[in-house]
Amino acid sequence: MSNPVIIEIENLTKTFKHATEPAVNGISFCINRNEVFGLLGPNGAGKTTTISILCGLFPATSGKVLIDGKDLRTELSSVKNMIGIVPQDIALYPTLTARENLAFYGSMYGLYGKDLKDKIETWLKKLGLIDASNRRVSTYSGGMKRRVNLIAGVLHSPAILFLDEPTVGVDVHSRNVIIQHLKEINAAGTTIIYTSHHMEEAQNFCTRVSIIDNGKIITEGTPAELISRNAGSTNLENVFLNLTNRKLRD
Amino acid sequence: MLNKLLATVKKEILLLLRDRVGLSVLFLMPVALILVMTLIQDSAFKSINEKGIPVVFVNNDNDSLGYQIKQGLLSTDLCYVSDSIDGKPANSESAKKAVSEGKFLIGIVIPKGATASIRKNVSAMVSETLNGSDSLQKQTDSVEITILIDPVAKKSFLNAVTSNLREFISEIKTKIMFQTFSEQIAEVIPDKNNTPKNSYQKSQIIRYKEIFASTATEQIVPNAVQHNVPAWTIFAMFFIAIPLSNSILKEKTEGSVFRLHTMPTPYLLLINGKILVYVMVCLIQFLLMLAVGKFLLPQMGLPALVLGNSMMGIFILTMATAFAATGFGVTVGTLATTDHQAAIMGSLSILLLSALGGIWVPSYVMPEVMRNISAFSPLNWSLEGFYKLFLRGGGVEDILPYAIKLMVFFFAMMGISYLANHKKRTI
Repeated sequence: MSNPVIIEIENLTKTFKHATEPAVNGISFCINRNEVFGLLGPNGAGKTTTISILCGLFPATSGKVLIDGKDLRTELSSVKNMIGIVPQDIALYPTLTARENLAFYGSMYGLYGKDLKDKIETWLKKLGLIDASNRRVSTYSGGMKRRVNLIAGVLHSPAILFLDEPTVGVDVHSRNVIIQHLKEINAAGTTIIYTSHHMEEAQNFCTRVSIIDNGKIITEGTPAELISRNAGSTNLENVFLNLTNRKLRD
Repeated sequence: MLNKLLATVKKEILLLLRDRVGLSVLFLMPVALILVMTLIQDSAFKSINEKGIPVVFVNNDNDSLGYQIKQGLLSTDLCYVSDSIDGKPANSESAKKAVSEGKFLIGIVIPKGATASIRKNVSAMVSETLNGSDSLQKQTDSVEITILIDPVAKKSFLNAVTSNLREFISEIKTKIMFQTFSEQIAEVIPDKNNTPKNSYQKSQIIRYKEIFASTATEQIVPNAVQHNVPAWTIFAMFFIAIPLSNSILKEKTEGSVFRLHTMPTPYLLLINGKILVYVMVCLIQFLLMLAVGKFLLPQMGLPALVLGNSMMGIFILTMATAFAATGFGVTVGTLATTDHQAAIMGSLSILLLSALGGIWVPSYVMPEVMRNISAFSPLNWSLEGFYKLFLRGGGVEDILPYAIKLMVFFFAMMGISYLANHKKRTI
């Protein structure tokens, strides 16, 4: 039987050059296989830095990360084969069509030929983009771009999917479609690590949540556990506001 | 890996084809530059050649010297000679005024009695030689021909013209002296059979023949086309640094790089895809420019471009230039952090490198310090290489040093880009 833990983070620290305080300050936690893990926190808390390290964008200053038993520092290229990312910004080429964008990103994950074509076709149909698939992405609405952005991250069926605010700026209909398909992807065996400022969405979507602030994990548990642990809180948003102080963040 | 590389190449081609403005800059701008610069330079060259330099001629001599100089000037393409100003016969004063006002570039004043003076001096020389008398020093009366020059005219140009004029006038003076001398000798030696005939022509024991030194089998005449086509083609090839750096920056600002860095594909492979496409663009640019030089320019009354002997040499040098240009574009795109920065950094550095490289002004007319700096411009290496091929009739072995320098430049640029990219990612 495989290890139930897919990501192990131990004492992870990241201090950027010329910064006086670490962006991530000695955090440790584990993510289980097939979880939808929410990494929540106010602006500048350290969640994007954490996800960037886990995706291999830049190295940690210290600490250890094991992804499916593989050390991120020494086995980065094999880790990259396991992961998919849906960034907050629309990481697509606006002058290419949805189909052309997906063909390119799919090829970068090693897909090609009929397999690539079939996967593109399936996903475009699933997310209601098949009719617009030969139009340039620059002509799409915000919701359509988000959906193509999502497909580009999941086309290769990754074992781990990182979602950085995947529904920011989209209407309710597009959000529902995106969340519904993310749940399907999770049900098919993909572990999801998710960040968002949308607390209601996180409460409904995540199986477990960590709240991070000032580079440190301040609490962890299922949404229900966090709500029950914090007296007077009726939802995850109350918990979040109580734990991170209500002052404004930049 | 090959599939990934092909996918990158396909993506880059699609991005380029969708950017119509960028494409027109890449292909139409160099065509326009070649047409404009060649037509301007060729018409300037022709206007001097066809009409000639305006010269006012004042002949106070009214004898052989004045007459022969005037006939000589009239028979040459160099000058357009007039002996009147505003319909009135020119004299020393009016000629000086007309030249100072820019109506004529040059004025020539032959003094009164110039021919008589030459004859007198020659007679004295003959007498001195034959009789041993010392009359020469007493009777020598040198002839002073005045050349008036427009102060606004460019010095280097005038030097060339006046030097030619002096040589020409001197030749006529010598001819008259020779004739006078021959006549004098004939008088002293009564045997008519000994009278020298065509003595001046016989005295021309040294003749000059000017040809353009080139080993090309086809006759290559240096002209505006031979200079401008390679120069502006190189400029255009390096100009791809701007769209290429923009393409790299767009991927950064639009977030694609973020995704690409998380993928199991080396970033170098993605950059190689870009390099391949932009090298292809450079080759197409080059072929287009050659076609313009070979077929379009002759339709406009300009000489056709002559390619020299070595097609292999042209191919090697073009490839090396294309790699150097794309390497430069990758570096600009890696070092710049915004589109604006890339546009300024790219265009200014190319303008600077092209000015230093002899694209705008030939490096041989630069001061020594600038010539030494010019030798560090990759555009200069390429241009010198093409001059070897297009003007000197050189082959592969002649352009190899330039091609090697250009490839070293490409690898240096890639090294700098790698280090800069690595540094940015290890923040």
